[in-house]
Amino acid sequence: MQVTIKVFRYNPEKDKKPHYETYQLEADPTDRVLDLLEKVKGYKDGTLSFRRSCAHGVCGSDAMRINGSNKLACKALVHDFGAKITVEPILGLRVIKDLIVDMEPFFDNFRKVLPYFINDDPAPEKERYQSQEDRERFDDTTKCILCAACTTSCPSFWASDEYLGPSAIVNAHRFIFDSRDQGAAQRLKIMNEIMGVSRCHTVFNCTLACPREIQITKAIGEVKKALMTGSLE
Amino acid sequence: MGLKRNVSLKDGLRYQGKGPMLTYILHRISGLSIVLFVALHILAAFLSQQYSSSAGTFINDIYESWIFQIYIIFCGLFHAINGLRIVILDLWPKLIEYQNEAIWIEWLVFLPIYGMAVFVIIRTALAG
Repeated sequence: MQVTIKVFRYNPEKDKKPHYETYQLEADPTDRVLDLLEKVKGYKDGTLSFRRSCAHGVCGSDAMRINGSNKLACKALVHDFGAKITVEPILGLRVIKDLIVDMEPFFDNFRKVLPYFINDDPAPEKERYQSQEDRERFDDTTKCILCAACTTSCPSFWASDEYLGPSAIVNAHRFIFDSRDQGAAQRLKIMNEIMGVSRCHTVFNCTLACPREIQITKAIGEVKKALMTGSLE
Repeated sequence: MGLKRNVSLKDGLRYQGKGPMLTYILHRISGLSIVLFVALHILAAFLSQQYSSSAGTFINDIYESWIFQIYIIFCGLFHAINGLRIVILDLWPKLIEYQNEAIWIEWLVFLPIYGMAVFVIIRTALAG
């Protein structure tokens, strides 16, 4: 099938303003949008810049706005969009070039939530035991690949990149509800700050954008409830 | 080098967030409209009572018109029902898995009540 792909272009060395360029390509309906971008870069215009790494939905490098909503280009199939596809960078982060954005504010927020295991008890001889039920409690939020599709779909994050954003809260949730971890109180204090969970207005864009199908708004809701009740039950 | 991070209103509104995003936008618009309505109401009362000004009557005429009533009832009712949905989901996060169904229920509750109110307003307006 013939596909028209319209791509957001911005080269800071040449362009004063961003613009769009359109390319005609021959594609299979089962091609991925990433394949189209590779074809453009390989055969039409080698200056096109975008991030990609594993190309299999694991590394989270190629989050972008495809036909208006955030997707991973390596998981978005052409037949889901039709013959006209528009590709733009994710919103709320500074565009460096074409589809590449500055991810630093996103990772700053990630680091703020102490996304690592905290337990000062001496390590046991074998493993720190955890029941299947306790593991299940935070299973969903272990799946995050830090692609930023959720955070950059959130209107509260568009308003201010000081807001922790859905991804950082998901990663906090992963440790707050881990029965082996002892840093829940510290993290809940961070969640309770002015740019914490209270900035979530349950828009659900994050849940719809997540390529790993994490129930993000539910995870944020659980953190909100833990703050309200003071209990992790 | 590079562009600023600013997200324009146009960019935000162009984001394809489907049903939940629409309710979020309507919640904001209806909230602001209610504030405007209450402010106008207080202003009209103040001008009429304090200064017997015709400006108060003029403002009253605007918000007592049937078109404005249809608009403000939309805002008040939608804001209330959508707010209830958000409160329920915030208090019982387990229900968030059914957020799509919650939005359908919200519209199913909203549309008949609003339709009935619009019917009554228009019937009254036509009756003079």
